[in-house]
Amino acid sequence: MDIQKSSEQEIKTSIGASLFELELEAPAELEQVGTAPPTVSPFRESLQRFRRDKRAMISLITLIVVFFLALVFPPLYQHLGVTLDNEVAPGFVLHVPSTQYHSPDYQDAARLHQYPSSLHWLGTDDSGQDLLARLLKGWQISLLVVLAVEIQDVVLGVVFGILAGYFGGFLDMILSRFTDLMFAFPGLLFAILVTAIFGEPMQEFVTKVFGNSFAPYGRLVLVALVLGFTVWPQMARFVRAQTLQLKEQQYIEAARTTGTGSMKIILRHILPNVTSLIIIAATLDMAGTVVNEGVLSLLGLGTQPPGSSLGLMIAQYSVYLQAFPYEILWPIVGLVLLVLAFSFVGDGLRDAFDPRTKN
Amino acid sequence: MLQFFIKRIIGLIFVLLGVTFITFIMGYFAPGDPITTLLGLHNTPEQHAKLAHTFGLDLPWYQQYWNFITHALRGDFGLSYESLGRRVTDVIAPSLLVSVQLGLMAFALQLLVGIPVGIIAALRRNTWIDTTSMGTMLFMFALPTFVLIPLYQLLMIFFVQRFNLDGPPLPTSGWEGGPEYKIMPVVILAAAGMGYFARLTRTVMLEVLSQDYVRTARSKGLQERVVVYIHALRNAMLPLLTVIGPSLAFIVTGAFVVETVMAVPGIGFISVNSISTRDWPIVQATVLLLALAVVVMNFVTDILYSVVDPRIRIS
Repeated sequence: MDIQKSSEQEIKTSIGASLFELELEAPAELEQVGTAPPTVSPFRESLQRFRRDKRAMISLITLIVVFFLALVFPPLYQHLGVTLDNEVAPGFVLHVPSTQYHSPDYQDAARLHQYPSSLHWLGTDDSGQDLLARLLKGWQISLLVVLAVEIQDVVLGVVFGILAGYFGGFLDMILSRFTDLMFAFPGLLFAILVTAIFGEPMQEFVTKVFGNSFAPYGRLVLVALVLGFTVWPQMARFVRAQTLQLKEQQYIEAARTTGTGSMKIILRHILPNVTSLIIIAATLDMAGTVVNEGVLSLLGLGTQPPGSSLGLMIAQYSVYLQAFPYEILWPIVGLVLLVLAFSFVGDGLRDAFDPRTKN
Repeated sequence: MLQFFIKRIIGLIFVLLGVTFITFIMGYFAPGDPITTLLGLHNTPEQHAKLAHTFGLDLPWYQQYWNFITHALRGDFGLSYESLGRRVTDVIAPSLLVSVQLGLMAFALQLLVGIPVGIIAALRRNTWIDTTSMGTMLFMFALPTFVLIPLYQLLMIFFVQRFNLDGPPLPTSGWEGGPEYKIMPVVILAAAGMGYFARLTRTVMLEVLSQDYVRTARSKGLQERVVVYIHALRNAMLPLLTVIGPSLAFIVTGAFVVETVMAVPGIGFISVNSISTRDWPIVQATVLLLALAVVVMNFVTDILYSVVDPRIRIS
């Protein structure tokens, strides 16, 4: 008996500091005598676990700041700054308002490679484009692509995953064959193939439909489509596995025996139980999407030159590494921030909602 | 075992057909007429039809697909559009050698650095050795290749300017030349996989080290070295085997960036160049080769894994 106790003690000490903190905190809670312990739903408990994760919280705040900068700040920035008087020829002065020279596409041959100043907060690049405006636009593009890809990922992955898991049979067989194929074909390779061959017609199509200002971003439509297409089989596989497990649960069986329809069981009982899995899988996938969009733009298959995207900016500025090394640091910092923040938030969510995965 | 093997072979054939079909159909629907490109502006319809017939482009799609597979099996990927009828095989053969060298060296480096670092971090867990090495590995895994390259080049420029050197201590791009040209492309290509392997090894080792049989081995007085490297490591290797396939996929896709940005004349370099000249047969051939490499490698790891761990075959 004594031996058992002492070994228990040893195990407790070896588990680590986190348990000790819990034990130390416990007496303070116990002082509230007479009140029933507050019931905490598993969801709330996970949320509390997530809030305690310092790395994930910092990343989440970073993400919120980036969201704000990318989506709200650009119009404000365009209205900050004096009107410039550009003397393009003797006696001919062109008035350039800040709405123009603070827009990401505006090129000014008179102001190339400028250092940061009150006029251009982060300076200008090799074609006289404002670096801050381009960086913000690049974030916008990254976030838009992530949004488009994750919508496809979640919609296709959840619909096919649940249907295959719940009904099985022919659909399940088709899905698993298809996911086998998509797993075998490296996703980025597939994206390179598709965007290389069909990028140009897509760009022409988008330009024809939406006008010339969308021409640099025309290929991104294809990029988002093909990246979404390569990621959803993974999601479908996760959801299918979870659905298969849920289907065997007693409450589903009970629902079925009381005559609940399949559609209602799926919407009421299965979908809410796979939601956290969907959110975690989608968040973990976002960092990869940002990187893949960057690679495609870097290889010249995504955003085209006057436009801005983080990958494209890295490709453009790497030419001027020696003379203007600070220029390339902005898109690099912007991209790394986004990638790390997405993956840390994803990790944090996974650890919080599925504690078994944490070792 | 045989039944499992046959099942996997059938799966492999299905996947191979799928991969070839995807690459074929992309080329089939590719915009532009290759025959017009080859003939130039001045040609007659008869010439056009005759050349289309020589290329087999006047056949229905299923016959073209059949020809594509049978020719590809013989190592013939057709003719390049851009270099006026040069065979695709001749164009990509020299670059294949470069890519295989680069890929194998990067793969070896991943294993040789990643696994020992993971083991050491697991043994010294929660010390500064663990946190710093795992932090570094996390960054190597998380930072995309196309960010690592400019950062490395910036570092070289910093050295040159700070110490007034004639040239960078290590070449920033290129491949042909002495061994110093090989170092950085290989290191950068291996970086992501290195971080992946190190973190995975640490997790797996921690799990194995907490098993009962490890405690038994320790309590019967075996040396720590024997316990770790003979008893624990052998079982930790099992999960590591499964990720050899994915890590090869890392290398293949990373090679596109490393080769393009660092001017290494490999498969990725050639295919990105061919994308800009719209030479689809070359793009098709390179993508197909790389996808096949990944597919076959996945298959081999699958089989290997089931040989090592018989439980896989049953489930």
